Amino acid sequence: MHLLSFGDQGYGDELFYGALLTMSLAVVGYLTSLICGVLIAVATLRPFGVRWTLWRLYASCFMSVPALLVIFLIYFGGAEMVSAALRLMGVSVRVQVTPFAAGAVGLGVVYSAYLAEGVRAAILNVPRGQFEAAQALQLSRLQMWSLVIAPQATRLALPGLVNLWIVVLKDTALISLVGLKDIIAQAKMAAGVTKEPFLFYIAAALFFVFMNGLTLHVSGWLDRHVARGMQAARS
Amino acid sequence: MSWFDPSLAAESLPALLRGAAMTIGLTVPILMLGMVIAIPVALGRLSEHRLTAAAAFAYVAFFRGTPSLILLYLVYSGLGVIAAVRASFLWPVLSHAYPCAVIGFALVHSAYVAEILRGGLAAVPTGVVEAGRALGFSPARLFFAVRLPMAGRLALKSYQNEVVIIIKSTAAVSAITVTDLMAAANEVFYITYDPFTPLLCAAGIYWVMINLVRGGFGAADRRLNAHLAIRLPDRPLRTRMRALRLRLRRPKTA
Repeated sequence: MHLLSFGDQGYGDELFYGALLTMSLAVVGYLTSLICGVLIAVATLRPFGVRWTLWRLYASCFMSVPALLVIFLIYFGGAEMVSAALRLMGVSVRVQVTPFAAGAVGLGVVYSAYLAEGVRAAILNVPRGQFEAAQALQLSRLQMWSLVIAPQATRLALPGLVNLWIVVLKDTALISLVGLKDIIAQAKMAAGVTKEPFLFYIAAALFFVFMNGLTLHVSGWLDRHVARGMQAARS
Repeated sequence: MSWFDPSLAAESLPALLRGAAMTIGLTVPILMLGMVIAIPVALGRLSEHRLTAAAAFAYVAFFRGTPSLILLYLVYSGLGVIAAVRASFLWPVLSHAYPCAVIGFALVHSAYVAEILRGGLAAVPTGVVEAGRALGFSPARLFFAVRLPMAGRLALKSYQNEVVIIIKSTAAVSAITVTDLMAAANEVFYITYDPFTPLLCAAGIYWVMINLVRGGFGAADRRLNAHLAIRLPDRPLRTRMRALRLRLRRPKTA
Protein backbone atom coordinates (compact mmCIF):
# COMPACT_ATOMS: atom_id res chain seq x y z
CA MET A 1 0.00 0.00 0.00
CA HIS A 2 2.97 2.32 0.57
CA LEU A 3 3.29 2.42 -3.23
CA LEU A 4 0.21 4.65 -3.33
CA SER A 5 1.56 7.05 -0.69
CA PHE A 6 2.55 10.61 -1.51
CA GLY A 7 6.17 11.74 -1.64
CA ASP A 8 9.14 10.13 -3.35
CA GLN A 9 8.41 6.68 -1.91
CA GLY A 10 5.05 6.19 -3.53
CA TYR A 11 3.20 7.19 -6.67
CA GLY A 12 0.20 8.78 -4.94
CA ASP A 13 1.21 12.33 -5.87
CA GLU A 14 1.91 11.41 -9.51
CA LEU A 15 -1.50 9.75 -9.77
CA PHE A 16 -3.14 12.71 -8.06
CA TYR A 17 -1.65 15.29 -10.44
CA GLY A 18 -2.46 12.99 -13.35
CA ALA A 19 -6.06 12.86 -12.16
CA LEU A 20 -6.16 16.67 -11.91
CA LEU A 21 -4.88 16.92 -15.48
CA THR A 22 -7.48 14.39 -16.66
CA MET A 23 -10.24 16.35 -14.94
CA SER A 24 -9.16 19.71 -16.31
CA LEU A 25 -8.87 18.33 -19.83
CA ALA A 26 -12.32 16.74 -19.53
CA VAL A 27 -13.80 20.03 -18.28
CA VAL A 28 -12.16 22.11 -21.03
CA GLY A 29 -13.11 19.58 -23.72
CA TYR A 30 -16.67 19.35 -22.45
CA LEU A 31 -17.17 23.11 -22.15
CA THR A 32 -15.81 23.57 -25.68
CA SER A 33 -18.25 21.04 -27.05
CA LEU A 34 -21.08 22.47 -24.95
CA ILE A 35 -20.59 26.00 -26.31
CA CYS A 36 -20.11 24.85 -29.91
CA GLY A 37 -22.94 22.34 -29.59
CA VAL A 38 -25.45 24.94 -28.37
CA LEU A 39 -24.42 27.40 -31.11
CA ILE A 40 -24.79 24.69 -33.78
CA ALA A 41 -28.15 23.62 -32.36
CA VAL A 42 -29.53 27.16 -32.45
CA ALA A 43 -28.16 27.72 -35.97
CA THR A 44 -29.69 24.54 -37.40
CA LEU A 45 -33.20 24.56 -35.97
CA ARG A 46 -34.76 24.52 -39.44
CA PRO A 47 -34.00 21.28 -41.30
CA PHE A 48 -33.20 22.82 -44.69
CA GLY A 49 -30.89 25.34 -46.33
CA VAL A 50 -27.12 25.70 -46.54
CA ARG A 51 -26.56 25.65 -42.79
CA TRP A 52 -28.47 22.39 -42.48
CA THR A 53 -26.47 20.72 -45.30
CA LEU A 54 -23.16 21.86 -43.77
CA TRP A 55 -24.24 20.58 -40.37
CA ARG A 56 -25.26 17.16 -41.73
CA LEU A 57 -21.89 16.92 -43.46
CA TYR A 58 -20.07 17.85 -40.26
CA ALA A 59 -22.11 15.42 -38.16
CA SER A 60 -21.62 12.59 -40.63
CA CYS A 61 -17.85 13.13 -40.73
CA PHE A 62 -17.24 13.32 -37.01
CA MET A 63 -19.83 10.80 -35.82
CA SER A 64 -18.47 8.07 -38.10
CA VAL A 65 -14.79 8.43 -37.24
CA PRO A 66 -13.01 7.50 -33.97
CA ALA A 67 -12.30 10.46 -31.67
CA LEU A 68 -8.73 9.19 -31.38
CA LEU A 69 -8.21 9.68 -35.13
CA VAL A 70 -9.38 13.29 -34.91
CA ILE A 71 -7.06 13.86 -31.96
CA PHE A 72 -4.08 12.40 -33.84
CA LEU A 73 -4.97 14.50 -36.89
CA ILE A 74 -4.94 17.66 -34.80
CA TYR A 75 -1.82 16.66 -32.89
CA PHE A 76 0.19 15.79 -36.00
CA GLY A 77 -1.33 18.26 -38.46
CA GLY A 78 -2.74 20.99 -36.26
CA ALA A 79 0.39 23.14 -36.43
CA GLU A 80 0.22 23.00 -40.22
CA MET A 81 -3.46 23.94 -40.27
CA VAL A 82 -3.04 26.87 -37.88
CA SER A 83 -0.02 28.29 -39.71
CA ALA A 84 -1.82 27.97 -43.04
CA ALA A 85 -4.80 29.85 -41.61
CA LEU A 86 -2.49 32.53 -40.18
CA ARG A 87 -0.62 32.83 -43.49
CA LEU A 88 -3.92 33.69 -45.14
CA MET A 89 -4.15 36.60 -42.71
CA GLY A 90 -0.59 37.59 -43.52
CA VAL A 91 0.99 36.39 -40.29
CA SER A 92 3.82 33.90 -40.46
CA VAL A 93 4.59 32.07 -37.22
CA ARG A 94 5.52 28.54 -36.19
CA VAL A 95 2.95 27.08 -33.86
CA GLN A 96 3.29 24.05 -31.69
CA VAL A 97 0.34 21.88 -30.68
CA THR A 98 0.58 20.52 -27.14
CA PRO A 99 -1.10 17.21 -26.26
CA PHE A 100 -3.50 19.11 -24.01
CA ALA A 101 -4.57 21.48 -26.78
CA ALA A 102 -4.91 18.62 -29.28
CA GLY A 103 -7.05 16.73 -26.79
CA ALA A 104 -9.27 19.69 -25.91
CA VAL A 105 -9.84 20.68 -29.55
CA GLY A 106 -10.29 17.07 -30.70
CA LEU A 107 -12.83 16.24 -28.00
CA GLY A 108 -14.53 19.59 -28.60
CA VAL A 109 -14.85 19.06 -32.35
CA VAL A 110 -16.14 15.49 -32.06
CA TYR A 111 -18.51 15.88 -29.14
CA SER A 112 -20.01 19.20 -30.19
CA ALA A 113 -21.68 17.17 -32.95
CA TYR A 114 -23.27 14.80 -30.42
CA LEU A 115 -24.16 17.66 -28.09
CA ALA A 116 -25.72 19.72 -30.88
CA GLU A 117 -27.92 16.76 -31.76
CA GLY A 118 -29.21 16.49 -28.19
CA VAL A 119 -29.66 20.22 -27.61
CA ARG A 120 -31.42 20.66 -30.95
CA ALA A 121 -33.90 17.89 -30.13
CA ALA A 122 -34.50 19.46 -26.72
CA ILE A 123 -35.21 22.91 -28.19
CA LEU A 124 -37.57 21.41 -30.77
CA ASN A 125 -39.40 19.58 -27.98
CA VAL A 126 -40.21 22.81 -26.15
CA PRO A 127 -43.89 23.34 -27.02
CA ARG A 128 -44.47 25.77 -29.89
CA GLY A 129 -46.88 27.72 -27.75
CA GLN A 130 -43.98 28.85 -25.57
CA PHE A 131 -42.34 30.59 -28.53
CA GLU A 132 -45.66 32.13 -29.55
CA ALA A 133 -46.42 33.24 -26.01
CA ALA A 134 -43.01 34.92 -25.77
CA GLN A 135 -43.76 36.79 -29.00
CA ALA A 136 -47.23 37.73 -27.82
CA LEU A 137 -45.67 39.21 -24.68
CA GLN A 138 -43.40 41.35 -26.88
CA LEU A 139 -40.26 39.81 -25.39
CA SER A 140 -37.06 40.53 -27.29
CA ARG A 141 -35.32 37.60 -28.96
CA LEU A 142 -32.68 37.57 -26.25
CA GLN A 143 -35.32 37.57 -23.52
CA MET A 144 -37.26 34.81 -25.27
CA TRP A 145 -34.22 32.53 -25.51
CA SER A 146 -32.75 33.22 -22.10
CA LEU A 147 -35.91 33.47 -19.98
CA VAL A 148 -38.40 31.19 -21.73
CA ILE A 149 -36.77 28.64 -24.00
CA ALA A 150 -33.38 27.94 -22.39
CA PRO A 151 -34.71 26.92 -18.95
CA GLN A 152 -37.21 24.50 -20.49
CA ALA A 153 -34.78 23.11 -23.04
CA THR A 154 -32.23 22.55 -20.28
CA ARG A 155 -34.64 20.28 -18.46
CA LEU A 156 -35.21 18.21 -21.60
CA ALA A 157 -31.54 18.10 -22.62
CA LEU A 158 -30.06 17.34 -19.21
CA PRO A 159 -30.03 13.51 -19.29
CA GLY A 160 -28.21 13.55 -22.65
CA LEU A 161 -25.77 16.23 -21.46
CA VAL A 162 -24.89 14.21 -18.36
CA ASN A 163 -24.38 11.08 -20.46
CA LEU A 164 -22.02 12.92 -22.77
CA TRP A 165 -20.04 14.29 -19.84
CA ILE A 166 -19.34 10.70 -18.79
CA VAL A 167 -18.37 9.75 -22.35
CA VAL A 168 -16.03 12.75 -22.66
CA LEU A 169 -14.45 12.02 -19.27
CA LYS A 170 -13.73 8.44 -20.32
CA ASP A 171 -12.42 9.53 -23.70
CA THR A 172 -9.82 11.85 -22.14
CA ALA A 173 -8.01 8.57 -21.43
CA LEU A 174 -7.13 8.53 -25.14
CA ILE A 175 -5.05 11.70 -24.88
CA SER A 176 -2.38 9.74 -22.99
CA LEU A 177 -1.63 8.14 -26.37
CA VAL A 178 -0.45 11.49 -27.75
CA GLY A 179 1.79 11.98 -24.72
CA LEU A 180 -0.28 13.77 -22.08
CA LYS A 181 0.89 12.84 -18.58
CA ASP A 182 -2.61 12.14 -17.32
CA ILE A 183 -3.70 9.57 -14.77
CA ILE A 184 -3.45 6.71 -17.29
CA ALA A 185 0.07 7.61 -18.36
CA GLN A 186 1.12 7.92 -14.69
CA ALA A 187 -0.48 4.60 -13.80
CA LYS A 188 1.26 2.94 -16.74
CA MET A 189 4.61 4.40 -15.72
CA ALA A 190 4.16 3.36 -12.09
CA ALA A 191 2.98 -0.13 -13.09
CA GLY A 192 6.03 -0.54 -15.31
CA VAL A 193 8.51 0.53 -12.64
CA THR A 194 7.03 -1.41 -9.72
CA LYS A 195 5.74 -4.46 -11.64
CA GLU A 196 2.41 -3.99 -9.86
CA PRO A 197 -0.02 -3.50 -12.76
CA PHE A 198 -3.15 -4.50 -10.83
CA LEU A 199 -2.64 -1.99 -8.04
CA PHE A 200 -2.13 1.04 -10.27
CA TYR A 201 -4.51 0.26 -13.09
CA ILE A 202 -7.32 -0.61 -10.70
CA ALA A 203 -6.60 2.59 -8.74
CA ALA A 204 -6.91 4.56 -11.99
CA ALA A 205 -10.05 2.62 -12.95
CA LEU A 206 -11.63 3.32 -9.57
CA PHE A 207 -10.97 7.04 -10.04
CA PHE A 208 -13.12 6.95 -13.18
CA VAL A 209 -15.78 4.78 -11.52
CA PHE A 210 -15.87 7.20 -8.58
CA MET A 211 -16.23 10.20 -10.90
CA ASN A 212 -19.13 8.39 -12.60
CA GLY A 213 -20.84 7.83 -9.29
CA LEU A 214 -20.30 11.47 -8.34
CA THR A 215 -21.72 12.57 -11.70
CA LEU A 216 -24.86 10.50 -11.20
CA HIS A 217 -25.27 11.94 -7.71
CA VAL A 218 -24.92 15.54 -8.90
CA SER A 219 -27.12 14.92 -11.93
CA GLY A 220 -29.89 13.65 -9.69
CA TRP A 221 -29.75 16.94 -7.80
CA LEU A 222 -29.56 18.94 -11.06
CA ASP A 223 -32.53 17.02 -12.45
CA ARG A 224 -34.65 18.04 -9.49
CA HIS A 225 -33.39 21.61 -9.74
CA VAL A 226 -34.22 22.13 -13.42
CA ALA A 227 -37.56 20.34 -13.03
CA ARG A 228 -38.62 22.47 -10.06
CA GLY A 229 -41.26 24.12 -12.20
CA MET A 230 -42.82 20.73 -12.97
CA GLN A 231 -43.30 19.64 -9.36
CA ALA A 232 -46.75 19.21 -7.88
CA ALA A 233 -47.89 22.21 -5.88
CA ARG A 234 -47.54 21.87 -2.15
CA SER A 235 -50.50 23.05 -0.14
CA MET B 1 3.29 21.22 -48.41
CA SER B 2 0.25 19.55 -49.91
CA TRP B 3 -2.90 18.72 -48.00
CA PHE B 4 -3.55 15.45 -49.77
CA ASP B 5 -1.10 13.39 -51.79
CA PRO B 6 -2.98 10.94 -54.07
CA SER B 7 0.11 8.90 -54.95
CA LEU B 8 0.97 8.39 -51.27
CA ALA B 9 -2.66 7.48 -50.64
CA ALA B 10 -2.53 4.83 -53.37
CA GLU B 11 0.81 3.58 -52.12
CA SER B 12 -0.30 3.21 -48.50
CA LEU B 13 -3.74 1.82 -49.29
CA PRO B 14 -2.73 -1.89 -49.00
CA ALA B 15 -1.24 -1.29 -45.53
CA LEU B 16 -4.34 0.63 -44.46
CA LEU B 17 -6.63 -2.11 -45.75
CA ARG B 18 -4.61 -4.70 -43.82
CA GLY B 19 -5.15 -2.49 -40.76
CA ALA B 20 -8.87 -2.29 -41.53
CA ALA B 21 -8.97 -6.09 -41.74
CA MET B 22 -7.43 -6.18 -38.26
CA THR B 23 -10.06 -3.71 -37.01
CA ILE B 24 -12.79 -6.03 -38.31
CA GLY B 25 -10.91 -9.06 -37.00
CA LEU B 26 -10.95 -7.49 -33.56
CA THR B 27 -14.53 -6.28 -33.65
CA VAL B 28 -16.21 -9.58 -34.57
CA PRO B 29 -14.76 -11.68 -31.70
CA ILE B 30 -15.30 -8.77 -29.28
CA LEU B 31 -18.98 -8.67 -30.23
CA MET B 32 -19.35 -12.44 -29.85
CA LEU B 33 -17.48 -12.71 -26.55
CA GLY B 34 -19.24 -9.60 -25.25
CA MET B 35 -22.66 -11.11 -26.00
CA VAL B 36 -21.72 -14.42 -24.34
CA ILE B 37 -20.78 -12.56 -21.14
CA ALA B 38 -23.64 -10.05 -21.36
CA ILE B 39 -26.53 -12.55 -21.31
CA PRO B 40 -25.75 -14.03 -17.86
CA VAL B 41 -24.93 -10.55 -16.49
CA ALA B 42 -28.25 -9.18 -17.73
CA LEU B 43 -30.06 -12.13 -16.14
CA GLY B 44 -28.11 -11.49 -12.95
CA ARG B 45 -29.25 -7.84 -12.97
CA LEU B 46 -32.87 -9.02 -13.22
CA SER B 47 -32.41 -11.79 -10.67
CA GLU B 48 -34.49 -11.73 -7.50
CA HIS B 49 -31.56 -13.17 -5.61
CA ARG B 50 -30.05 -10.11 -3.88
CA LEU B 51 -26.42 -11.21 -3.97
CA THR B 52 -26.54 -12.14 -7.67
CA ALA B 53 -28.16 -8.83 -8.53
CA ALA B 54 -25.56 -6.91 -6.50
CA ALA B 55 -22.66 -8.76 -8.12
CA ALA B 56 -24.06 -8.11 -11.60
CA PHE B 57 -24.59 -4.44 -10.70
CA ALA B 58 -20.99 -4.12 -9.49
CA TYR B 59 -19.75 -5.75 -12.70
CA VAL B 60 -21.72 -3.30 -14.84
CA ALA B 61 -20.74 -0.26 -12.73
CA PHE B 62 -17.03 -1.10 -12.84
CA PHE B 63 -16.71 -2.00 -16.51
CA ARG B 64 -19.01 0.73 -17.77
CA GLY B 65 -17.23 3.34 -15.72
CA THR B 66 -13.68 2.45 -16.72
CA PRO B 67 -12.05 3.69 -19.94
CA SER B 68 -11.31 0.74 -22.21
CA LEU B 69 -7.67 1.86 -22.45
CA ILE B 70 -7.10 1.06 -18.75
CA LEU B 71 -8.63 -2.38 -19.21
CA LEU B 72 -6.42 -3.00 -22.23
CA TYR B 73 -3.31 -2.22 -20.19
CA LEU B 74 -4.65 -4.18 -17.24
CA VAL B 75 -5.31 -7.35 -19.25
CA TYR B 76 -2.15 -7.00 -21.32
CA SER B 77 0.30 -6.46 -18.48
CA GLY B 78 -1.74 -7.83 -15.59
CA LEU B 79 -2.36 -11.38 -16.79
CA GLY B 80 1.36 -12.13 -16.96
CA VAL B 81 1.76 -11.23 -13.29
CA ILE B 82 -0.64 -13.91 -12.09
CA ALA B 83 1.40 -17.10 -11.62
CA ALA B 84 -1.61 -19.36 -12.24
CA VAL B 85 -2.15 -17.80 -15.68
CA ARG B 86 1.49 -18.17 -16.62
CA ALA B 87 1.46 -21.82 -15.61
CA SER B 88 -1.79 -22.66 -17.38
CA PHE B 89 -2.08 -24.12 -20.86
CA LEU B 90 -3.68 -20.85 -22.01
CA TRP B 91 -0.48 -18.83 -21.56
CA PRO B 92 0.85 -19.36 -25.11
CA VAL B 93 -2.38 -17.70 -26.32
CA LEU B 94 -2.74 -15.03 -23.64
CA SER B 95 0.85 -13.83 -23.90
CA HIS B 96 0.00 -12.23 -27.25
CA ALA B 97 -1.49 -8.77 -27.59
CA TYR B 98 -4.42 -9.72 -29.85
CA PRO B 99 -6.32 -11.99 -27.42
CA CYS B 100 -5.68 -9.46 -24.64
CA ALA B 101 -7.22 -6.73 -26.78
CA VAL B 102 -10.27 -8.90 -27.48
CA ILE B 103 -10.72 -9.68 -23.77
CA GLY B 104 -10.21 -6.07 -22.65
CA PHE B 105 -12.75 -4.62 -25.09
CA ALA B 106 -15.18 -7.52 -24.58
CA LEU B 107 -15.31 -6.77 -20.84
CA VAL B 108 -16.37 -3.15 -21.48
CA HIS B 109 -18.72 -4.10 -24.31
CA SER B 110 -20.39 -6.85 -22.26
CA ALA B 111 -21.26 -4.41 -19.47
CA TYR B 112 -22.99 -2.04 -21.90
CA VAL B 113 -24.77 -4.85 -23.75
CA ALA B 114 -25.90 -6.33 -20.42
CA GLU B 115 -27.65 -3.04 -19.59
CA ILE B 116 -29.23 -2.87 -23.05
CA LEU B 117 -30.43 -6.47 -22.79
CA ARG B 118 -31.75 -5.84 -19.29
CA GLY B 119 -33.79 -2.95 -20.64
CA GLY B 120 -35.04 -5.10 -23.52
CA LEU B 121 -35.90 -8.06 -21.30
CA ALA B 122 -37.71 -5.81 -18.84
CA ALA B 123 -39.76 -4.37 -21.70
CA VAL B 124 -41.09 -7.77 -22.84
CA PRO B 125 -44.77 -7.71 -21.80
CA THR B 126 -45.46 -9.90 -18.77
CA GLY B 127 -48.51 -11.32 -20.51
CA VAL B 128 -46.29 -12.89 -23.17
CA VAL B 129 -44.08 -14.51 -20.54
CA GLU B 130 -47.14 -15.77 -18.66
CA ALA B 131 -48.60 -17.16 -21.88
CA GLY B 132 -45.38 -19.08 -22.46
CA ARG B 133 -45.54 -20.47 -18.94
CA ALA B 134 -49.19 -21.43 -19.40
CA LEU B 135 -48.19 -23.35 -22.52
CA GLY B 136 -45.77 -25.37 -20.38
CA PHE B 137 -42.52 -23.93 -21.84
CA SER B 138 -39.45 -24.81 -19.80
CA PRO B 139 -37.64 -21.74 -18.39
CA ALA B 140 -34.79 -22.23 -20.88
CA ARG B 141 -37.13 -22.52 -23.85
CA LEU B 142 -39.14 -19.55 -22.57
CA PHE B 143 -35.94 -17.53 -22.46
CA PHE B 144 -34.42 -18.50 -25.79
CA ALA B 145 -37.61 -18.83 -27.84
CA VAL B 146 -39.71 -15.99 -26.41
CA ARG B 147 -37.99 -13.48 -24.14
CA LEU B 148 -34.61 -13.13 -25.84
CA PRO B 149 -35.93 -12.72 -29.42
CA MET B 150 -38.42 -10.09 -28.30
CA ALA B 151 -35.85 -8.28 -26.16
CA GLY B 152 -33.40 -8.38 -29.06
CA ARG B 153 -35.90 -6.69 -31.36
CA LEU B 154 -36.60 -3.99 -28.78
CA ALA B 155 -32.91 -3.43 -28.05
CA LEU B 156 -31.71 -3.39 -31.67
CA LYS B 157 -31.29 0.38 -31.97
CA SER B 158 -29.27 0.70 -28.75
CA TYR B 159 -27.20 -2.32 -29.72
CA GLN B 160 -26.36 -0.67 -33.04
CA ASN B 161 -25.00 2.34 -31.15
CA GLU B 162 -22.90 0.06 -28.99
CA VAL B 163 -21.44 -1.77 -32.01
CA VAL B 164 -20.50 1.54 -33.63
CA ILE B 165 -18.89 2.69 -30.37
CA ILE B 166 -16.83 -0.49 -30.08
CA ILE B 167 -15.54 -0.18 -33.66
CA LYS B 168 -14.42 3.35 -32.86
CA SER B 169 -12.87 2.33 -29.54
CA THR B 170 -10.68 -0.31 -31.18
CA ALA B 171 -8.69 2.63 -32.58
CA ALA B 172 -6.89 2.71 -29.20
CA VAL B 173 -5.59 -0.84 -29.61
CA SER B 174 -2.21 0.28 -30.91
CA ALA B 175 -1.42 1.11 -27.26
CA ILE B 176 -0.75 -2.60 -26.77
CA THR B 177 1.06 -3.09 -30.11
CA VAL B 178 -1.78 -4.43 -32.26
CA THR B 179 -1.64 -2.88 -35.75
CA ASP B 180 -5.19 -1.91 -36.61
CA LEU B 181 -6.35 0.74 -39.10
CA MET B 182 -5.44 3.65 -36.80
CA ALA B 183 -1.98 2.21 -36.12
CA ALA B 184 -1.38 1.53 -39.82
CA ALA B 185 -2.19 5.17 -40.62
CA ASN B 186 0.15 6.36 -37.86
CA GLU B 187 2.94 4.16 -39.22
CA VAL B 188 2.61 5.82 -42.62
CA PHE B 189 2.81 9.20 -40.85
CA TYR B 190 5.98 8.24 -38.97
CA ILE B 191 7.65 7.20 -42.26
CA THR B 192 6.52 10.10 -44.47
CA TYR B 193 5.75 12.89 -41.96
CA ASP B 194 2.63 13.63 -43.97
CA PRO B 195 -0.03 14.08 -41.27
CA PHE B 196 -3.01 14.48 -43.58
CA THR B 197 -2.96 11.85 -46.33
CA PRO B 198 -2.81 8.64 -44.24
CA LEU B 199 -5.12 9.89 -41.49
CA LEU B 200 -7.71 11.21 -43.94
CA CYS B 201 -7.61 7.89 -45.84
CA ALA B 202 -8.08 6.01 -42.58
CA ALA B 203 -10.95 8.35 -41.68
CA GLY B 204 -12.57 7.52 -45.03
CA ILE B 205 -12.24 3.78 -44.41
CA TYR B 206 -13.70 4.12 -40.91
CA TRP B 207 -16.55 6.19 -42.32
CA VAL B 208 -17.39 3.49 -44.88
CA MET B 209 -17.17 0.66 -42.34
CA ILE B 210 -19.34 2.42 -39.78
CA ASN B 211 -21.95 3.49 -42.29
CA LEU B 212 -22.12 -0.06 -43.66
CA VAL B 213 -22.81 -1.25 -40.11
CA ARG B 214 -25.48 1.44 -39.69
CA GLY B 215 -27.05 0.42 -43.01
CA GLY B 216 -27.00 -3.26 -42.03
CA PHE B 217 -28.68 -2.55 -38.72
CA GLY B 218 -31.22 -0.34 -40.48
CA ALA B 219 -32.12 -3.22 -42.82
CA ALA B 220 -32.31 -5.67 -39.89
CA ASP B 221 -34.53 -3.24 -38.02
CA ARG B 222 -36.90 -2.83 -40.96
CA ARG B 223 -37.14 -6.62 -41.30
CA LEU B 224 -37.37 -7.62 -37.63
CA ASN B 225 -39.51 -4.71 -36.49
CA ALA B 226 -41.72 -4.46 -39.56
CA HIS B 227 -44.76 -4.85 -37.31
CA LEU B 228 -43.79 -1.67 -35.41
CA ALA B 229 -43.19 0.48 -38.47
CA ILE B 230 -45.34 3.56 -38.86
CA ARG B 231 -47.45 3.19 -41.98
CA LEU B 232 -47.38 6.44 -43.85
CA PRO B 233 -50.71 7.42 -45.35
CA ASP B 234 -50.97 7.20 -49.13
CA ARG B 235 -49.56 10.14 -50.94
CA PRO B 236 -52.27 12.50 -52.15
CA LEU B 237 -51.38 11.92 -55.82
CA ARG B 238 -51.76 8.17 -55.49
CA THR B 239 -55.08 8.58 -53.68
CA ARG B 240 -56.32 10.85 -56.41
CA MET B 241 -55.20 8.38 -59.10
CA ARG B 242 -56.99 5.53 -57.36
CA ALA B 243 -60.16 7.57 -57.06
CA LEU B 244 -59.90 8.41 -60.73
CA ARG B 245 -59.43 4.77 -61.68
CA LEU B 246 -62.40 3.73 -59.57
CA ARG B 247 -64.56 6.35 -61.21
CA LEU B 248 -63.52 5.17 -64.68
CA ARG B 249 -64.26 1.56 -63.79
CA ARG B 250 -67.70 2.22 -62.37
CA PRO B 251 -69.71 2.52 -65.60
CA LYS B 252 -68.55 -0.96 -66.69
CA THR B 253 -69.80 -2.67 -63.54
CA ALA B 254 -73.00 -0.73 -63.45
